[in-house]
Amino acid sequence: MTGALNLLVALAMGLNLLALGSSRLPSLIRAAAVQGMVLGVLPLLLEHEFHGLVWVVAAATIAIKGFVIPGLLRRALRTAHIDREVEPLLGFIPSLLLGAMAAIGAVAFAGALPLRPEHAGTLLVPGAFATLVGGLLLLMGRSKAIAQVCGYLILENGIYLFGLLLIHATPLIVEAGILLDLTVGVFVIGIIVDRIQREFDTLDTRKLTSLRE
Amino acid sequence: MIPGRLLLLAFLSLIVGLVTARRAPRLWLAATLTGAGAALAAATGVLAGGEVWEWRPTLAVGGEAVHLRLDAVSAFFLALLAVLGGAGGAYSRAYWTDAAHPRSAPSGRAWWNALLAFMGLVLLSANGLHFLIAWELFAVSGYFLITRERHRREVRQAGWLYLAASHAGTLCLFAFFALLAARTGSWELGPMRGRAELAPLFWLALAGFGLKAGLFPLHIWLPSAHANAPSHVSAILSGVAIKMGIYGLVRFSGWLPVPEAAAWTIAALGVVSAVLGVAFALGQHDLKRLLAYHSVENIGIILIGLGFALVAAAHGNPVWAQLAFAGGLLHVWNHGLFKALLFLGAGSVLHATGTREMSKLGGLWRAMPWTAGCFTLGAAAISGLPPLNGFVSEWLVYLGLFDAVGSRSSAAWVAVPAVVLLAMTGALALACFVKVVGVVFLGLPRTETAKHAHESGWFMRVPMLVLASACVAIGLFPMFFWPAVARAAAAWQPAWADAPVPEPLYALSACNITFALLGLLAAALLWRRVRRNGLSRAVTWDCGYAAPSARMQYTAGSFAGIITGWFAWILRPERHAKLPEGNFPAHAHFAEHTPETVLEKIVEPTGRLVMAVSTAVRRLQHGRLQSYILYLLLGLIALALLAFAGGGR
Repeated sequence: MTGALNLLVALAMGLNLLALGSSRLPSLIRAAAVQGMVLGVLPLLLEHEFHGLVWVVAAATIAIKGFVIPGLLRRALRTAHIDREVEPLLGFIPSLLLGAMAAIGAVAFAGALPLRPEHAGTLLVPGAFATLVGGLLLLMGRSKAIAQVCGYLILENGIYLFGLLLIHATPLIVEAGILLDLTVGVFVIGIIVDRIQREFDTLDTRKLTSLRE
Repeated sequence: MIPGRLLLLAFLSLIVGLVTARRAPRLWLAATLTGAGAALAAATGVLAGGEVWEWRPTLAVGGEAVHLRLDAVSAFFLALLAVLGGAGGAYSRAYWTDAAHPRSAPSGRAWWNALLAFMGLVLLSANGLHFLIAWELFAVSGYFLITRERHRREVRQAGWLYLAASHAGTLCLFAFFALLAARTGSWELGPMRGRAELAPLFWLALAGFGLKAGLFPLHIWLPSAHANAPSHVSAILSGVAIKMGIYGLVRFSGWLPVPEAAAWTIAALGVVSAVLGVAFALGQHDLKRLLAYHSVENIGIILIGLGFALVAAAHGNPVWAQLAFAGGLLHVWNHGLFKALLFLGAGSVLHATGTREMSKLGGLWRAMPWTAGCFTLGAAAISGLPPLNGFVSEWLVYLGLFDAVGSRSSAAWVAVPAVVLLAMTGALALACFVKVVGVVFLGLPRTETAKHAHESGWFMRVPMLVLASACVAIGLFPMFFWPAVARAAAAWQPAWADAPVPEPLYALSACNITFALLGLLAAALLWRRVRRNGLSRAVTWDCGYAAPSARMQYTAGSFAGIITGWFAWILRPERHAKLPEGNFPAHAHFAEHTPETVLEKIVEPTGRLVMAVSTAVRRLQHGRLQSYILYLLLGLIALALLAFAGGGR
């Protein structure tokens, strides 16, 4: 059980690096989508008693994170005629290095935390930290709005991983609620992206700074 | 309840004046003078009878019950306010006329009454909240009076500086009264000497009231405000408004316990203000700026008296404390009287010549003998020369300090340098006023405007004469004014009740009267000799130069040059000179300017630094979302580190 769990979390951590290193928006979206699907499987591994709701939530997570949200983003890409280039503020190599350092640091940091014994052996906490940092790096280091949405998705995945620590304490209906929020958020962003593109003819957030204050 | 009725009359008169200020200047003047007279009568009644007047109507303002109270300390300051309010009001009738200032004169009259009313309210309030309200209204009315000539840039700057300094002080007072109310549980003010835990609050009061009083490092607003305000406003600012700071210090040092360090600080700041105030005054070429710096000096003398009285009270030695305190308190009156007289005199000069620049004046005695006479009398009084009032109060302070020296306590070690520096202050003040009177009134007119000066009208002369006669009266008969001072001192320190007139005061009075009579006799003899023998006119010795002109007289700067040289370390005079060279020098010039050192070398650079840092910090907000997220992340990391570092505890 733990082996499979660790394998999936390690896969998610690897997908962080893939997201940080991808230079084209479709591959970035794909990385975020695959990570969402991988994490969607995790409740099935953690929950001991299998009942219907777990299955529903897992299926919904996989469907929404793996298909609905990427679909929305791709649609936005297509209808708003956005260039496929990511246009990084922070170069790919530094991003990758920082992401790798974050992964190593997260493992070291989690070792120093006073965790409960059933979590100590898993990669859940380091994976959550590494994914959070990876998402933040994307948010900080990419200039296009779509890339930032992907960063936000990955950040949310990190939070979701943390949430799995409490899976026995939080009802799954809360998870379902979070998922709904996320979907609506991305949906709204997709609409806004389209509007911004029509109004300003760009999605580069650097050029939107005159809207401050 | 007589004081109550008189105060009501005074208040109603001021209101009538406020209403009629725009349309009916004569009615305004009558109302203002009535109000001043009624307030003076009320104050005199309390000072003579010694009964505290209190009024607690069932009326609440701002959620606090109204509580007015006129005890001897308040009455002492109220009397000064009434005298100067009336004198300045009458003076402004001819000085700031509707004809010359059609826009600013009518509203100026209204603000004048507002200023008087609110200062009176400050003196009467016995509730912290109402004190603050009255204080703020008084400060704001002062601002509108200072900026009567708003179209001039330097007036606006002076006004802003005044407002900023005033609000910095008010901020301290807000903290002071709020903490006081929080610790006592009520905004009511009154004696609470026994509560030692309130002592640290006095530091806030010292900062807040010290800013208004203009003691040395906090005086930055004072010179420009006094110089740029109309002269009757300068007179009341210098005569009463800055005394409100002294009133606050006296009031709350009497009601609250005072930390001994604060007492020493007041005494030390008093000495510093006295010496440096007069040093800065010597460096000035602007008549009214010079007088403003003398206010700093005299506030210093008052604070020496107050500070040493506090030190002595802390050591339980009331004998010399009483003398020092009485000297300081009497100097409040005296400085108010002669400084208002000097400002009114300077106003007459300004009115007649249109300039405050001393190097453009000269020889005005001939054209304006009344003004010159009154100004010279005021100058002699402020220099502490007998037989005038300045000498009496300074002498009381000296007596207190001498007794302190004789007491062989720890205060003696400080009293000796204080005496020396006070004496030096007196000498420097004398030098400064010899400079002023010599340059402005004696010699020959330096410019055409000074040549065509004219004496001012009776509306301006009578207030000056009233103030001058008050100066003479206090100088010749100090024992008649002692009971008022003693009652105020007793209200400050209840242990000092029923102080008899000190013996030396009678001796001083006899000396002063003799001195005055001898002076008059000598003047009469001299006048007779002049009448009999006639005067012969001749050219002064001119170093062999054949064509001297009036501009070759001693200037203010050259007269004070040696003394300002001693103080160059703090005055930092700026000189721009091109000296004459060769046998036939073609062009040469010399200009000297004494900056306001504290303002220009300390406050302004600090302000610029703060602005630079703020501008740099503002660059952090640029609208790039990516960086904002970075800030969030860094903030989170910092908080996490903080939590980890503090987690052990």
